[in-house]
Amino acid sequence: MSGSVDGPAAAAGPCRRTVILTGLLGAGAGAVTGAGAATAADGGPPTDAAAQELRLAGARATARPFRGTHQAGILEPPQPHAMFVAFDLTEGSDRDAVRRLLTVWTDDIERLMAGRGTLTDLEHELAAVAASLTVTVGVGPEVVELVGAAKPPWLAPLPAFPQVDELRDEWSHGDLMLQICADSPTTVAHAQRRLTTSVADLATVRWVQRGFREPFEGPGIPMRNLFGQVDGTEQPDVAGVDSGLLWVGDDGPAWLHRGSSVVVRRIAMRLDEWDRVDRASRENAIGRRLDTGAPVTGGDTAESPADLDATDDLGFHVIDDAAHLRRAHASAPHERFLRRPYSYDDAEGGTMRSGLVFVAYQADPVRQFVPVQSRLAEADLLNLWTVPVGSAVFAVLPGARDGEILGQAMFA
Amino acid sequence: MPHCPLLTRRVALTAAATLLTVGLAGCGSAPDDGTPADTASAVVTLEDGWVKAVDTAGSDSTRMTALFGTLRNPTDDEVTVESAGCPAAGRVELHEVVPNDSGEMQMQPKAGGFVIPAGGEHVLQPGGDHIMLMDLRESLDNGTQTTITLSTSIGDVDVTVPVRTFGGGEESYVPEPSPTSS
Repeated sequence: MSGSVDGPAAAAGPCRRTVILTGLLGAGAGAVTGAGAATAADGGPPTDAAAQELRLAGARATARPFRGTHQAGILEPPQPHAMFVAFDLTEGSDRDAVRRLLTVWTDDIERLMAGRGTLTDLEHELAAVAASLTVTVGVGPEVVELVGAAKPPWLAPLPAFPQVDELRDEWSHGDLMLQICADSPTTVAHAQRRLTTSVADLATVRWVQRGFREPFEGPGIPMRNLFGQVDGTEQPDVAGVDSGLLWVGDDGPAWLHRGSSVVVRRIAMRLDEWDRVDRASRENAIGRRLDTGAPVTGGDTAESPADLDATDDLGFHVIDDAAHLRRAHASAPHERFLRRPYSYDDAEGGTMRSGLVFVAYQADPVRQFVPVQSRLAEADLLNLWTVPVGSAVFAVLPGARDGEILGQAMFA
Repeated sequence: MPHCPLLTRRVALTAAATLLTVGLAGCGSAPDDGTPADTASAVVTLEDGWVKAVDTAGSDSTRMTALFGTLRNPTDDEVTVESAGCPAAGRVELHEVVPNDSGEMQMQPKAGGFVIPAGGEHVLQPGGDHIMLMDLRESLDNGTQTTITLSTSIGDVDVTVPVRTFGGGEESYVPEPSPTSS
């Protein structure tokens, strides 16, 4: 029994595939050139095999870069499918175990994002469609303590919000967290499986939260949560002038420079109760129109400025005093953060559990996020229909540069 | 193959470079710029090599594990991997997996070693040919590396490969080659 793979396919394939891929790797225009070259060589219309290879090459061309200043999966527009996976380190783990785990994940993630199987992957075909896969790694307080790195003061559970919280341990905390996002749910599932099994001796899964967004999201088709509300409006310009709101700077631990923090809160939605409310009340609860997401005070888009002072004939605020928009509105410039939320609807037997995986990235969650969440806990009409059931905070490692493992600076 | 460099292979090697160190002149066979290899200095390389992690101290301890990956021969002549050594192992054997008399898959030493065709490859994988590390002197922990020396018909090559946790590879072992194996 020979282990050789020098079969007919391998012998015939490489040169043509190289030509097509070379054409594709540059840009979209390159794909056209590559296709032209492949068919011209045949002297006729594209064969099934050529079309198939082109599709596969197109799938491979969806790979996102892994190495860089920051981790992938933060600045990019969110892909429609996501899985958030929190892990607990195995009992008795030490600094070396953390380093080994991050060594394995760095290699696995780099391969998976490139559309390749991991080293131990016997089903590497499942990795071939990169589907814009990004995997983003966060670490909890215990990891930082085990490694002996400086722990940022905010790396701890959020303060309790007793007015609203019904937190459950099974949806909260964790030593490590993976945010796995892709355009294909199969790609997400495979990455989750490989990244879980490859460190099975070092960490166990604590919780898994699946999420989805609008696959047709784009101009005219916004991300809507399961209340039908346009979500993720009024984002800071984190790729530009507001980058200091996102990335840890000189005032944070050196190992976390160019890293960030992520808050993951599981917000259950009482959809049965929501369904009983008329449309005007729904819009009043958030202070925005359902159709465009514009403030109820006017405007055409979700980005239109809200007039918080506008009053009606009776002298009442047009935007309700307890409307989500008003309560969430930043009272200071630093009370802003990058939201990357995903909806969920998981069945438990015949019961749907629906809601939002609220995901917020920021340099300092206590300074930026907690003031907003405190106001929402005190008063927010949406609280009638929402219940936070999970909450976790992680330090988001900086990007791995050439030759580095993720979190390398932690071990300096 | 040297006249038609595989883009996919270059990408793979670049990606692997941080964790997979190929010894001696190994890098000469796959320059980053993709130029054809200089066959004069080319040696056998192991691409995407890894060793299954093993705990020699645990309750379900074993003192055996295996090396997998793709052996590549950039030369114009057939090359044979004749044997291998590893500081972490007391004994190293080249194995194949073959069905026994009752049809079950069993591994056994491969007579004649692994023959890599000129310009070709030979895949070592769970359930197939592999390099068996036995009488391990220490645990091989997930996320570490280990070095194995491949003795080939054109010289020795050191390969340093990552150690990875893996759930498969539970074939049973027969120490002697069966008469039908080659």
